[in-house]
Amino acid sequence: MAETMNAPGPEIVCENLAKRFGHGPTLVEAVAPLSLRFAAGRMTALVGPSGCGKSTLLRMVAGLDSPSDGTILLGGATPEALQREGAMAMAFQDASLLPWRSVRGNIALARKLARLPADPQAVARMIDRVGLAGFEDARPAELSGGMRQRVAIARCLVTNPRVLLLDEPFGAVDELTRARLNAELPPLWQATGTTCLMVTHSVPEAVALADRVVVLSSRPAQVAGDIAIPAEARSDKAARLALVEQVSAALAQGWDEAGSAERLAAQ
Amino acid sequence: MTLLAQPRWPGAVGRSLGSVALVLVLWHLMALSVAGSYMLAGPVAVGQYLAENHVLIGRALWVTVQNAGWGFLAGNLAAIVLALIVALVPQSRMLVSAVALVVFCLPLVATGPVLRVLYGPGPGPQITLAALSVYFTTFIPLLVGLRAAPGNWFDMIRLYGRGTWSAFVHVRIMAAMPYLMAGLQVAAPAAFLGAMVGEFTGAERGLGVLTLRAMRGLDVEATWAIALVAASVSMLAYGAIGLLADRISPARPEILLATGTTPPRGPLALRALRGLTLVLATGAVLVGLWWLAMEVFALSRFFAKRPDDIWRYLVTAANAEAHRATLWAASQATLVQVVPGYLAGLGFGAGLALLLALAPVLAGAVLPLAIALRSVPIVATAPLIVLALGRGPVGTITIVAVMTFFPALVACIHGLRQAPGQALDLMRLYATNPLARLWHAQLPAMLPAFFAAARLSVPAAILAVTVAEWLATGRGLGALMAMTASTSDYNLLWSAILVVACGSALGYGLVGLVERAVLARVAPEQLRR
Repeated sequence: MAETMNAPGPEIVCENLAKRFGHGPTLVEAVAPLSLRFAAGRMTALVGPSGCGKSTLLRMVAGLDSPSDGTILLGGATPEALQREGAMAMAFQDASLLPWRSVRGNIALARKLARLPADPQAVARMIDRVGLAGFEDARPAELSGGMRQRVAIARCLVTNPRVLLLDEPFGAVDELTRARLNAELPPLWQATGTTCLMVTHSVPEAVALADRVVVLSSRPAQVAGDIAIPAEARSDKAARLALVEQVSAALAQGWDEAGSAERLAAQ
Repeated sequence: MTLLAQPRWPGAVGRSLGSVALVLVLWHLMALSVAGSYMLAGPVAVGQYLAENHVLIGRALWVTVQNAGWGFLAGNLAAIVLALIVALVPQSRMLVSAVALVVFCLPLVATGPVLRVLYGPGPGPQITLAALSVYFTTFIPLLVGLRAAPGNWFDMIRLYGRGTWSAFVHVRIMAAMPYLMAGLQVAAPAAFLGAMVGEFTGAERGLGVLTLRAMRGLDVEATWAIALVAASVSMLAYGAIGLLADRISPARPEILLATGTTPPRGPLALRALRGLTLVLATGAVLVGLWWLAMEVFALSRFFAKRPDDIWRYLVTAANAEAHRATLWAASQATLVQVVPGYLAGLGFGAGLALLLALAPVLAGAVLPLAIALRSVPIVATAPLIVLALGRGPVGTITIVAVMTFFPALVACIHGLRQAPGQALDLMRLYATNPLARLWHAQLPAMLPAFFAAARLSVPAAILAVTVAEWLATGRGLGALMAMTASTSDYNLLWSAILVVACGSALGYGLVGLVERAVLARVAPEQLRR
C-alpha cells in the first residue's frame, strides 16, 4: 500500500506557556508557566485531574486557543502555519461529525478542508482500515458511539497529518469498546512518524499507547511527573503494571485535593 | 417509499380522515343550532356554494396563489440575504435586526393603500405585502440557525487553517437548514395572508376581492366558503413544506430559540448608552431609507410623504397639536383592544399547553389540530369572527386573541417537550407529583419557546387588530388608516403608519427585555451563544 507520506512529524516545543481566562476577581489561571518538549514522531500522553488545563494545553498546541504568555513552535513553525499547511489533525471527545454528511462525506471533507486533492480511493481505504467497510453511506446518527469515534479517527488520518492531537477520543465510549479501539486504531498512526499528543483520563490507556506520559498537577497545570514508557513494557505485563503504579502515584501527588475543593466552593 | 415507512400510512391517513369527519359533523351541528342567524354556514351550504361557484373561486384562488407565491419567494430571499449579511458581519446584527423589525411592523392595512397608489391596479401591492409579511419570520429563525452549531465543528474548520467562509459553507449553512425550513413553513400561510390583505386594497381579482364582496353583501355561505378554501390551501402549503423539510434536513441539531447572542455586560449606564445609540442609529437608518426610497423613485409629495413632511405635520405646523390628539385618541382605542387580546391569546395558549402537559395523550391529539389552525390566515377568519361575535370590542379582542393563541400553543407544546428527560426521570424516581414536575422541569423548558412566540406575536396582534378595526369596528388606528387612505389625508396616514410601526417595534423590544430578564434566571444557556 503506497501512501503518499508527508514529512515526518515535528518536535513540539512549548516555552513558558501560560493561559489565563477572565480578569479581575474572575481570573482563572488554567496553565501556569510551563516549558515542555514533545519528541518528533513519538506519542506523548497528558494525564491529570479534571479541569487541570490539559485540554487547554492541547488546544493551544492546535492553535485553537492562543497562549496568554509564552510560545509554541512545532518544528520551528507556529501552530497557525501548520494549520495552513493542512498538517494538523484533531479528534475530540465527542466525535463531532457533521450529522448531514455520510461516513464517506465526513472523511472526505477533511481532505477538502486541508486543500488536498479529492481521493475517493484513499477515503475508501481509510474506511476499510478503521473497520467500517459497508457503512460508507451511513449517517452519524445511525452509528454507535464507538463507530463514530472510528470515523473521527479516519477523518484525522486521511490527510496524513504531521501532528495528531487526541482530546480524550475514547472517553465517551464503554470500557470494552475502548479496549478494542485502543488495540485497533493506534497502529494506524504509530508507524507513520506522526507526532502525537493525547489527553486522557485513563492511566492504563496512557501507559499502553504512549512512549511517554506527562502527569499534570491540579490547576494551574504544572508538571507533576514525566515518565518514559520503554518499548519493552508493551509486551511485559509486570513492567506495564509497575508503570501504571508510578503514573498513578505522580497523579495522586499532583492532585491537590484541598485546593480543588476550595476552587469548587468558589465556583 | 421505503418499506419502513409503509405501515405508518394507513393509520395516519385514517386518523386524519377521522378528525376531518369529526370537524365536519361538529360544524354541521353548530350550523343547525344557529340556523337563520347570519353567522354560520353549515358544511352542506358551503359545499353547495363551492360546487356552484367553483370556476369563480378557482380563478380567484389561482390569482391569489400566484401573488402569494411571488411574495413568498421575494420575502424569503430578502430574509436569506439579510441573515447572510448578519452572519458575515456580526457587528451589524443589532442594527439590521432593528431595521428589519420596524419594516416588518409597518401596518399592512396602511402600506396596502399606499402601495396601491404607487403601483396602480396590478398585482404589485399584493406581492409586496406578501413579501413583507414573510421575511421577518424567516429572518429570525435563520439568524438563530446560523449560529446554532457546536463549537467543535468550528474548531475542526480552523484546525485545517480555514476561515469564516469555509465555516460558513461547510457548517453554518447546513446547520441553519432546519431553522430555514421552520421559517419557510410559517411563511407559507403568512404569504397567503399578505396577498389577501393586498387584494383588500382595491385589486381587481383574487380571493381577497371575493371576501370583501361577500362581507359587504352579508353573503354568509360565500364568506365561509372562501375562508375554508384559503385555510385549506395554507394548510396544504404548510404541510408540503414540512414534508420537504424532513427530506432535506433529517438531522436536526439542538434547538435554540432566543435571538440574543452576547448577554449585555458592563454597568447599567453603559448598557443604557449602548441601547440609546442603537435606537438612534436605527432611527437614522430608517429615516434615511424612507427619504431615499421616496427620492430615488421621484414619488409625488402629494401621497409619498417625506420624513420632514411628517415632522412638520406632527410638530411644527400650526394645528400640530390637533393632529397629535387625533392620533393619540385612535391609539388609545386600539391599545385597549390589542393588549387584552394579546395577553389573553398568550395566556390561553400557554395555559392550554400546560394543561396538556399533565395529560400527554391529549397533547398528541391537539397538536396536529393546533398546527393546522395556526396555518389559517387570520384575515380569512376575521370576517367569520365578526359575523359570530359582532362588531364590538369582544369581536376585535377575540380576533387578536386567536391570532396569538395558536402560535403560543404550538410553541409551548414544543417547548414542553424540550424538558430534559433525565430531570423528569429523576423526579419520577422520587414520586414527585405532576404539578411539581411541571413547575421545576417543564415550565423552565417551555419559557424560551413561549417568549419566542410572544415576541413575534406583537406585530401579528397589531396586524390583527388593525385589520379588525378596518373591516368591522370603524374605530382605532386601523379605521383611521383606512379612512385617511380613502380621503387622501396622506399626512395623517403616514403619521399613523409611523405610530403603528414604532409602537409594534417598542412592544417587541419590551417583550424582549422581559424575555432576557426571565431567561437569565431559568434558561441562561439560551442566551449564551
